[in-house]
Amino acid sequence: MNADFQQTPNNLCPYCSAAFETFDGLKAHVVAVHKTEPLPKPDGLIQLTVNGQSHKLLVAPEWTLYQVIHDKLGLTGVKMFCDRGACGSCTVIMDGRPILSCMTLAIECDGKTIETAEGIAEAGHPLIDSYVNHHTMQCGYCTPGFITTAKALLDRNPEPNESEIMQALAGNLCRCGTYPQHPKAVLEAARTLKEEHSK
Amino acid sequence: MRSFEHFNARTMEEAVAILGRYGDRARVIAGGTDLLGKLKDEILPKYPEALVNIKSISGMDYIREDNDVLKIGALTRLEDIAVHPAVKQHFGALAEAAGRAASPHLREMGTLAGNICQDIRCWYYRYPNNRFPCLRKGGGRCYAIEGDNRYHSIFGGTVDDGCYAVHPSDTAPALIALDAVVRTTKRTIPLEDFFDVKVSATTVLDPDEIVTEFEIPQSPGKAGSHFIKFALRKTIDFAVVNCAAMILIEERKVASARVCLNAVAVKPYRAVKAEQAIIGQELNESTAEAAGESAISQATPLKDNGYMVQLAKIIVKRTILACA
Repeated sequence: MNADFQQTPNNLCPYCSAAFETFDGLKAHVVAVHKTEPLPKPDGLIQLTVNGQSHKLLVAPEWTLYQVIHDKLGLTGVKMFCDRGACGSCTVIMDGRPILSCMTLAIECDGKTIETAEGIAEAGHPLIDSYVNHHTMQCGYCTPGFITTAKALLDRNPEPNESEIMQALAGNLCRCGTYPQHPKAVLEAARTLKEEHSK
Repeated sequence: MRSFEHFNARTMEEAVAILGRYGDRARVIAGGTDLLGKLKDEILPKYPEALVNIKSISGMDYIREDNDVLKIGALTRLEDIAVHPAVKQHFGALAEAAGRAASPHLREMGTLAGNICQDIRCWYYRYPNNRFPCLRKGGGRCYAIEGDNRYHSIFGGTVDDGCYAVHPSDTAPALIALDAVVRTTKRTIPLEDFFDVKVSATTVLDPDEIVTEFEIPQSPGKAGSHFIKFALRKTIDFAVVNCAAMILIEERKVASARVCLNAVAVKPYRAVKAEQAIIGQELNESTAEAAGESAISQATPLKDNGYMVQLAKIIVKRTILACA
């Protein structure tokens, strides 16, 4: 924990923002003035594992996870549409749960493992091919959100039926109206996964 | 979103201490799906100076059966409650309510405590940038009385100030029907007494008080419970009217009943008249119909929401019948 703390700029005191030349000076100050030990890690320093890659970031309290993944890490598969948690286009998988990155504060995600549509594509997941084969998109803006949600479903339930798929995807909106294609694509991906496993 | 101080609390004591320091200038954040929307839209009369995250406190996320009660941690995600086998088997109303709230993604983020502590969804209150300085923001009037009130209270406004915004929670009526109590850092409150109508608050909680746990008694005998939600869409939508009921039948007669409606009044509305009408009766189409009729006997709809009275009547009837 202290090792992380050393990386903050200027050895700033997290309680009163006083600056110190050395880390030891800061530590002595915190113990003497604020009477706490050990030194807490500043809240803004987080570690994220995104698509298997570890990142250390200093984030502002009001940054959403979307802003960090899309703007800072440059993974533009995470899409912004409603920004109010009502459309599903910013879905990422965090610790196995499909969650909305626009309604999650990055500062609260320290140590989390995150998967985006890019990671799912790089891993060669059959969802990508089946989504293409079934023409599951027109403009394609909502597609990464659907893919991440479907991947989270298949991780938990490798053989979902059509109604389970419809239920799992009920939080994703598509203004082009591609809804009927999604269960077909996810069912095919599930079949392909099963065949791959049985080989 | 404008900035704020942020604390990832490590213990409940730490969270309470920070809240004590900030008073009503700080807010607790758990799932965040309600709070962040309010911050983005700038609808709080006082933008919080600090957020205290309680997701960083470990061991607040559990469902376990202890002796005769089911204990649910405050930070248990709605989705986990909806799919939990014991909840589904013995507390059907709660599993159904948790599974019908919001959307799948929001259920993976939103917590049970957050669902009962959520703010009202009145469209005047929620209009961005404090466009309508209504009573619930400390302003002078309720805009729904003369405005469009198709989703507002059919059981009158609050006595003191006349706010007609309804409480939107799906799990609250289920927990009330199941006779749950809520434990906080200060006290234990029956869920029925948990709700209040205050400026930008819907609960009796003090500024430095945090919900920690729910306790639901195992129903005596073989009581059945059920929850029905009517909304305009199947998903990502709030209830127009919802209802939860728990009915115990002994020797073919209803021995005890608890019926609670929500989204129809400023707080979850326990339909005591419906309970009185059904207790001692056989449960059938006509007695359930009579209970539905009693549930709405005190309704005083506004100009646009008369349809909600009919909805409430039918939903009470169907929910009671589904408990058998």
